[in-house]
Amino acid sequence: MKVQMQDQQANPRPDLIEKVTGAAVFASDVSVPGMLHGRILRSPLPHARIRSIDTSAALAMPGVVAVLTGADLANINSHWGLYLIDRPVIAIDKVRYVGDPVAAVAAVDEHTAEEALDAIMVDYESLPYVTDAEEALKPDAPLVHEDMQTQNDYYFRGGTKIREGTNAFQDYRYDYGDVDAAFESAAHIFEDRFTFPGIFHYAMEPHVAVADFRGDELEIWSGGQTPTAIQKVCADLFEMPLSRIRVHSPYVGGGFGGKASVKIDPLVAALSWKAQRPVRVCQSINESMLTARRLGAVVYLKTAVDAEGKFTAKSVRVVMNGGAYADTGPAVAIKSAIRAIGPYHFPNLRLEAVAAYTNTVPGAAFRSIGGPQGVWATESQMDIIADKLGMDPVEFRLANMVDKGQTIKADLRPLDVDLKHSLREAVAALDAQPDKDASRRGVAVGATDPGIMPIGGAVVRLKADGSVLIMANTVEIGQGNRGVLRQIVAKVLNMSLEHIHVGRPDTEFAPYDWGTGASRSTVISGLAVKQACEDILAQVQKVASQEIGGEPSDYEFRDGIVAGPQESVKLRELLRRFHGVDSGEFIGIGRITKHTRDGDFAKAPLFWETVGGACEIDVDTDTGEIQVLRVASAVDAGYVINRSAAEGQDEGATVQGIGHSLFEEYVYEDGQLTNGTMFDYRVPKISDAATTALSVLIESKDGPGPFGSRGMGEGAILPVAPSIANALFRMHGVRIRDLPLTPERVWRAIRDAKQEQGDTDASAESSSSEVNYVTSAI
Amino acid sequence: MLPAPFELHRPKTIDDAFALMAEHRDEATFYAGGTEMLVAMKARVVAYPHVIDIKGLDELRDVTREADGRIRIGGLSTHHELATNPTILEHLPAYAEMSNQVANIRVRVAGTVAGNLCFAEPHADVPTLLCALGAELVLRSPRGERVVSAGDFIVGEFTTIREDDELLTAIRVPSTRGGTTAAYRNFGHLERPAVGVAVRKEDTGSGIVWHIWVGAVCGHPVRLESVENAVRGMQGEQALETLKRHIDAATQELEIYDSIHGSADYKRHLVGVLASRAMEACQK
Repeated sequence: MKVQMQDQQANPRPDLIEKVTGAAVFASDVSVPGMLHGRILRSPLPHARIRSIDTSAALAMPGVVAVLTGADLANINSHWGLYLIDRPVIAIDKVRYVGDPVAAVAAVDEHTAEEALDAIMVDYESLPYVTDAEEALKPDAPLVHEDMQTQNDYYFRGGTKIREGTNAFQDYRYDYGDVDAAFESAAHIFEDRFTFPGIFHYAMEPHVAVADFRGDELEIWSGGQTPTAIQKVCADLFEMPLSRIRVHSPYVGGGFGGKASVKIDPLVAALSWKAQRPVRVCQSINESMLTARRLGAVVYLKTAVDAEGKFTAKSVRVVMNGGAYADTGPAVAIKSAIRAIGPYHFPNLRLEAVAAYTNTVPGAAFRSIGGPQGVWATESQMDIIADKLGMDPVEFRLANMVDKGQTIKADLRPLDVDLKHSLREAVAALDAQPDKDASRRGVAVGATDPGIMPIGGAVVRLKADGSVLIMANTVEIGQGNRGVLRQIVAKVLNMSLEHIHVGRPDTEFAPYDWGTGASRSTVISGLAVKQACEDILAQVQKVASQEIGGEPSDYEFRDGIVAGPQESVKLRELLRRFHGVDSGEFIGIGRITKHTRDGDFAKAPLFWETVGGACEIDVDTDTGEIQVLRVASAVDAGYVINRSAAEGQDEGATVQGIGHSLFEEYVYEDGQLTNGTMFDYRVPKISDAATTALSVLIESKDGPGPFGSRGMGEGAILPVAPSIANALFRMHGVRIRDLPLTPERVWRAIRDAKQEQGDTDASAESSSSEVNYVTSAI
Repeated sequence: MLPAPFELHRPKTIDDAFALMAEHRDEATFYAGGTEMLVAMKARVVAYPHVIDIKGLDELRDVTREADGRIRIGGLSTHHELATNPTILEHLPAYAEMSNQVANIRVRVAGTVAGNLCFAEPHADVPTLLCALGAELVLRSPRGERVVSAGDFIVGEFTTIREDDELLTAIRVPSTRGGTTAAYRNFGHLERPAVGVAVRKEDTGSGIVWHIWVGAVCGHPVRLESVENAVRGMQGEQALETLKRHIDAATQELEIYDSIHGSADYKRHLVGVLASRAMEACQK
């Protein structure tokens, strides 16, 4: 019998057919024998001391196997974290936000577990709370964490600078040149305050994990993006060897950073440890809204410009709402300040980023960490300045933008792409549309330094029959990385895709990889796979020269045939001559470290992830509703391995950006999240997506990844909000500095501007010298 | 979240459904599409140990023309069925258009018109338009049948005049064929509408009569009687200009509050915008 292979030669992605036929096994589909179902009791209060928890009634219910509370953590390391060891596996002495896990029940089924939650009695003593970051930094603000214990070099390189006795868990400062002197001598100074709210990742699959604690070993099937970090945190909590913790990564139904680093896995592992049974916890989407969100930000910009319209200094101050636990917030805060610089040259530069604990959902990484927050501010202000100087927004950007090879921030790798070209390409893409309308247009650019740790590896096994198994720990979260790895193997080993299989990520077999995020998989895992293939080729050539004769370099490997000047043999025949039986395999290993590419990987960032963006909008001035008509992003991806997947990344980023531009925000009132359901929290629908979305992929072939590729997929989210706001300004002369651009906000701004216009017109009759700034044309 | 445990009953006839309700009384609820009730049960806002699934009562599903020319819509008709039903498309095109825009397709293929009315979620589209269309609702119980006007049915948020053991079996709507036209316009930036306005222009033979109802923004649909009176007998630009002159005063009388859907003044403004647009649509 011949087994029909599912993979189509034409389609490199093995996941697509599985997903559309329902055959794909996602983390939420995993079931293991003897598995219990867990549900989590969450705090209804924003900040409270736990006086007592009575679980006896829950435990007495038929089908309830175990209840985990803070009292159970006495015998393990109770807290974990990435910069600060601030998060208990489950609440111990107090709760810090509405949604904080207080108790977890493991029962024979989900309904029984859910019912048992109602039977758990928790006695709380309410504490003063704070939900706003700037309020949280005031001297008399309630402390979310009384003590802060930091650690360095744990997840990202370095540590965080806390302010003891306050809610500030990050206090980053950077100073270059003499900013104060530059401000004193500036021809123009622009000062603006922008806000960006907390945003839900809304992966379609909520957070899910199955954990099976068996004596001295722990096995987890996780919906997380970072299996090795989950492994590390669990090893530290339970004081177990890394080698006894196995993390599987089935298909994950979207991540966007909300499943990066570590989220619910330690809690599920602890529940399994308590129950002594495998336990599955699959959250509802509402619970996932209470698990992680993008950090909200207030961004203050002060920018100095000389008489010729050139920048002389910039100061950025970011205040981030980090929520109840720091997670990777310290990194997000720094990145936000850096990403607020923009791709411009400032001879004098000051950055400040403060991240504050608040009694809200913990902040977390989200597609271009800190990027949309910083870029929203800076690219909005770029148009404010251009307007004031009477310059065209595109020309003003081009005049101040650094060239490829020039420095944005002194301690970072110089810009490695021609971003001026990207901006022109984005504008050209809209100009090429038959229904283009430049009077409705806004532009914006973004330049970000991905926080990529150059740690990764891959094993590629060339089997005797010429088929290939790839073992890598990059997680398929919908971005198509398994397909990309296959295409890399096909290209390097000169073989067709049908013979190439990618194993499921599994820490027991696949080499260590730092994690799936920051646009790193194609570059890091891809390059490791490419190296492993090159390792294999060298071995094949060596064995061929030994068994057939001649020099290794005489041989090439193509379509499963080892071809040399004297003889061409099938791989199986080569192995027969080598081993005596036609079995065995070639094992190729790829390793990524700071030494990769002659030490170039030691420099940060590994590459710049950049974008030029432009959009055209329609505004219903009666309702204030904005419709994005056409949008274009231009990204230098270096080399495009899978075009439809790459375009899908940028189109998805654009639609996600439309969400935070127009609708999305966490709304808090009295310490409660008031829109914590998908009825009240609006994500973009297909009718909200631009009717024309253009993804321009530029291939300069000089990125650090395989074949000159660079990472992509996060850039296109950056320009969406500021380009929409800039288009709104161009059309109606109103400048909105707060996201989202809800219909009400837009309607109110246009109405107020009309009223002001009316007032100005009236006063202009008596004083004709008055300049009407609000409606001046750009 | 998951709902509290319940027993599901699937009666085959209306009488069986009534018998189950009589047996379990306060512990039971009728349920059809589930797009509202199941959400509330999962959120544990409501709990019923007995859920009586009436989806099997096929007699409540038909759309027919009655002898007097009214369209009789079975209560179990889904939004999607009504959006695509030839009789609705011919006689109540505005209703078909509205039905086609309720929530999303997953809700439209499951959610029923009677369920929408009986749940009385204030941020809904169906009740407002039915009020403006002059619909009557047929309520049946073991005690018999009664007919109430759509405008009297919903009395507040999630509150109707329906008795717990009554089924909303049918909605009877005067056809808008002939000289009558109707239109519904809504707006909101969240999943549910913030404001909805329904307008019907009725040619009575002895003059034009306008029916103007506002929904979503208050606890129940509200008739803008003062505006209706102001525009009575008018058409075209004259009607529109008169509506615009009177709508602000009328919206000031409405009980509208700041909410996640928008500030009160913005929503009042939207009532005027949507009323104008609906009136314009009626005159096209």
